[in-house]
Amino acid sequence: MCLELENLHIQKQGTSLFDPVNLVIAPGEIATLMGPSGCGKSTLLSAVSGSLDPVFTLTGKIRLNGREITSLPMEDRNIGILFQEDLLFPHMDIGSNLAFALRENIPGPERRALVGRALESAGLEGFEKRDPSSLSGGQKARVSLLRSLLARPGALLMDEPFSRLDQTLKAVIRTFVFSRIEEMNIPALLVTHDPADCPGGGRIINLDKG
Amino acid sequence: MKQMLLGVYFVLLSCSPALGAEWEDIVAAAAGQTVYFNAWGGSQPVNAYIEWAAERVQEKYKVRVVHVKVTDIGDVVSRVLIEKSAGKDTGGSVDLMWLNGENFKAMKENNLLYGPFSRKLPHYALADIKNKKNLLYDFTVPVDNLESPWGAAQLVFLYDSKRVPEHPQSMGDLLAFAEKNQGKFTYPAIPEFHGTTFIKQALMELIEDPEVLNHPMIASDFDAHTRPLWDFLDRLHPRLWRNGKVFPDSASRMFSLLNDGEIHISLSFNPNAAANAVENGELPPTVRTYVHASGTIGNAHFVAIPFNSSAREGAMVFADFLLTPLAQAKKADPKIWGDPTVLDIQRLSPEDGALFDALPRSPATLAPEDLGRVLPEPHVSWVQALEKAWLKKYNQ
Amino acid sequence: MLPLTSLGKSGFFPVFIMASFGLTLLAGLLGTVLPSLDYLPVIGHTRFSWSPWQEFLSYPGIFSSIRVTLISGITASASAVGLSVFWACCAHGSRTWRLFEKALSPLLSIPHAAFAIGFGFLIAPSGWLVRMVSPGITGFSSPPDWILLNDPYGLSLAAALVIKEIPFLVMVMISAMGQLDMEKTLLAGRALGYKKEQIWLKILIPRLYPHIRLSVFAVIAYSFSVVDMALILGPGSPPALAVQILKWFNDPDLSLKLVAACGSLFLFALVGAGIGAAFLMEKILGFFLAPWVVNGRRRSILTRLKPLFLLPGLGIMGITGAATLLLVIWSFARQWQFPEVLPASWSLKFWTTGLVSCFYPFVTTLLTGMAAALLGLVLTIGCLEHGAGAKRKGTRNLNTPVFYFLYLPLLVPQISFMAGIQLVLVVVNLDGSWITLLWSHLIFVLPYLFMVLQTTYLSYDQRFWDQALLLKRSYFPALFRIKLPMLVRPVLFSFAIGFSVSVAQYIPTMVVGAGRFSTLTTEAVSMASGSDRRALAVYALLQQALPMIIYALALITPKILYYNRKGMQV
Repeated sequence: MCLELENLHIQKQGTSLFDPVNLVIAPGEIATLMGPSGCGKSTLLSAVSGSLDPVFTLTGKIRLNGREITSLPMEDRNIGILFQEDLLFPHMDIGSNLAFALRENIPGPERRALVGRALESAGLEGFEKRDPSSLSGGQKARVSLLRSLLARPGALLMDEPFSRLDQTLKAVIRTFVFSRIEEMNIPALLVTHDPADCPGGGRIINLDKG
Repeated sequence: MKQMLLGVYFVLLSCSPALGAEWEDIVAAAAGQTVYFNAWGGSQPVNAYIEWAAERVQEKYKVRVVHVKVTDIGDVVSRVLIEKSAGKDTGGSVDLMWLNGENFKAMKENNLLYGPFSRKLPHYALADIKNKKNLLYDFTVPVDNLESPWGAAQLVFLYDSKRVPEHPQSMGDLLAFAEKNQGKFTYPAIPEFHGTTFIKQALMELIEDPEVLNHPMIASDFDAHTRPLWDFLDRLHPRLWRNGKVFPDSASRMFSLLNDGEIHISLSFNPNAAANAVENGELPPTVRTYVHASGTIGNAHFVAIPFNSSAREGAMVFADFLLTPLAQAKKADPKIWGDPTVLDIQRLSPEDGALFDALPRSPATLAPEDLGRVLPEPHVSWVQALEKAWLKKYNQ
Repeated sequence: MLPLTSLGKSGFFPVFIMASFGLTLLAGLLGTVLPSLDYLPVIGHTRFSWSPWQEFLSYPGIFSSIRVTLISGITASASAVGLSVFWACCAHGSRTWRLFEKALSPLLSIPHAAFAIGFGFLIAPSGWLVRMVSPGITGFSSPPDWILLNDPYGLSLAAALVIKEIPFLVMVMISAMGQLDMEKTLLAGRALGYKKEQIWLKILIPRLYPHIRLSVFAVIAYSFSVVDMALILGPGSPPALAVQILKWFNDPDLSLKLVAACGSLFLFALVGAGIGAAFLMEKILGFFLAPWVVNGRRRSILTRLKPLFLLPGLGIMGITGAATLLLVIWSFARQWQFPEVLPASWSLKFWTTGLVSCFYPFVTTLLTGMAAALLGLVLTIGCLEHGAGAKRKGTRNLNTPVFYFLYLPLLVPQISFMAGIQLVLVVVNLDGSWITLLWSHLIFVLPYLFMVLQTTYLSYDQRFWDQALLLKRSYFPALFRIKLPMLVRPVLFSFAIGFSVSVAQYIPTMVVGAGRFSTLTTEAVSMASGSDRRALAVYALLQQALPMIIYALALITPKILYYNRKGMQV
């Protein structure tokens, strides 16, 4: 159930971005990648998620639950990503956005029930038919996370997920996100430049130029 | 009596200088005019010939002739009609047009033509009106000098001697050929005029009493008279190219088919078409021409001037040039176009006559004496009825 | 300068376009509806009656003509839309896609008639494809008696239409994609475990479709009402309805003009029905596929069939290239018989005579195209500037209604309203003038210019404009020295598009030009009914070459102008 990074090293045209990274994240644990802008933390995240830009070369191994995923395409890695933007599909209602994330072979009534329960747990009861653009920033952020988690990922990556929210909202959403991750008991990797984002007690990894 | 004839003779004699003077005025007025000559543009040799004629007329008379290439002359008839309806009595967009048959009839009946004018053309006197009745009756419609003759046409068949050892001599033979050679003959879809002519020819050969074709068609007798034709076509069509389900839309397209070997027998209205085509590589050198033993339909084609042309003098000058022995001989040259002349060669001066004697003969075409009988067109009422009936039977 | 500025801001351009388009369409309508009800004074019909309709419905072969139009129209539109959609789903981002994108300009610039001619050479039973395998594999020494071309159902016509329409739809899709920020959606979808093709099918296409809807309608209208391609590839007898209308209009039996008017209205109704059906399909599909979108299936047979769907792009490029190559070979051939793969003898004659005789049509085509494209650009930019200004000030943006006016000529069958217009033009004595010809081309050029430039304008960073205004303190210098030079690439590209649209026009030149004007297109189509394929090939190639040259210039000029500016090299 762990997310392992073994000797992960990224280079661009021969120049290293940072020292090789070795990291094992336990289920329910949230590790934070910190560093100044341009230090390569987003690049590292994209390497783990599988969307690494071809200009970079990657060496090392990535494993999720013992399965090596280094060379798998993004959609086959079973890893969820939370972005800065909520990326809710604007032409579908909230319920459809969430249902989209569910696995197949779940019959209709059960799908609806799962979506309903998820919305309830976030205090968004009855929001199934709502238009995404009618939601507030905080509501959208919550739905976005719900969607990522409904897909039952083996791990969750977060790329500066709170940077668009205002201060008061940040705290609330942060707590919501971290508690959910603990509940689902999956490893998580958070990239941020804001020290306040780090979960209490979580490991902090500082990326330094190699 | 003799007195009267002499009197008439002197009157006529005195008219000719007047005629000559009138022509001089026309030539003078024509200088500087631009004549938009609307003529079919689907044949390169014809286009080249028209360009040559235009250049000569520019040089000699300072008349500029622009060849407006049309796909369908009916389109031009439409346009003149619309102009008339809009009250455009001068400055029309068409100054001279190449037409015959139905299109002439439409122009004449709707009073869209300027004229009569052809008698004003000096070289019209050389036209073979005596022997070629179809210069006076265009598809049985009286010409009344409203159009000036340009060339003659006769239905001929072309075949690839490499693939067809013995050519048909009649419609019956043609049917036998088609039955033995599936898909190797076809004809253009009605109402394209080559196609219409083909079925007219078939009707002439198969009808019990050919004489009725010279008279207006009587509707109640139509089916009885045309029964042999439909029986023939019913047997022929399944043997045609594409099983008779698809017909080429023009005789020119059929030339490509003949070249490619898709069909082995084609047809044309220009007896010298084969020579011209072989000359420039469009058809293989093994192509030959034949006619049916009982004769084939022939007609003439003309040029006419719309009523609202503002360059009618220029148009007349050009029409006259087209009738000169030089222009007619060049037109009849298979290397250039090969379209037969409308002039009476016997009445030409020795030098002019020599132009025609010098024309190259090609093995691909028949000598004028071998073209056989020219059958006259049936009365025009038969044509419309035939076309309607064919469309109803085979066009679904 | 001041009056001009207020002219631009006051919405002169949109109003001008709406008024002139409106008048033109009204004229066309009048010239069509009245004769269809038996009212055509010139041939003596002054009493209204239903007899033209009766004649129309009882004309021999009319139902076959309608059937051909429906079959070829529906097959072509449905296949074009379907294949474009699947092509985008499966190939987007791949190397083949990028290659196709680069090939779009040449593909789009080939006029329909030229392509149809080359395509005919390719697939005919006596054509190149069969020759390649005869007599070797097939044993044919004569061409087989197959109905591959001019088939009675219009399928060969449909095939050629599809090949021409897919690049157009793809181009429209690409420009719409630019507005949609697809990369992020793809990321989000893949993060949820979905394969790229599935994301395309389930999320992106539904989002994209509303943007290309109008273009799909234009494709439907074109497939139903095309004349020049139908003349070359469609059945001869009975022909497609649009061709039949043209024949009626040109028939010496002048009463057939009334039947032509009926046919025009009927064709218009068919197009309307087609568009309505497409719209209905969209809604129905949207409704029934909604559960499928959220059923969680991350992969589908598309993933396994993916390599197959790379074929449309390659196929189109290949066939178009082959068609052009064939035209080149024919233009140099002297004698070429079946089953030779290459001509037995060659000749330069057709090029030398062709280049000489094509002088006037060439000049007409060039001048009209340039004028139409230039005038079109001025009008379009005028409208778009107005739109940009209105958006900033919050005043009424007249571009929205203009948009619909502009699109109408693309949705109404050309033959339908052109024939009607001709009657009106003769009455006001405007037919046969170059200005009228130019206008008739402009009507069809403007929609494309608008389509292309609108997306550019919408995505232009307004802050550049603000800076320019602040620095220059005056409208026109800011426009001509800052904004337009920055947009030089799309502006030149639209110029090239406008030019090629004008070159390809057949019906407008034929009908409105009153025979005074022949362009390379009218010449080529007229020669396609002849037998000399060498001269025809020369004309078709010339017709193709002109737009390509303009496109090449449009591509190179920015590179030369801004060779030392990396920021302009996007």
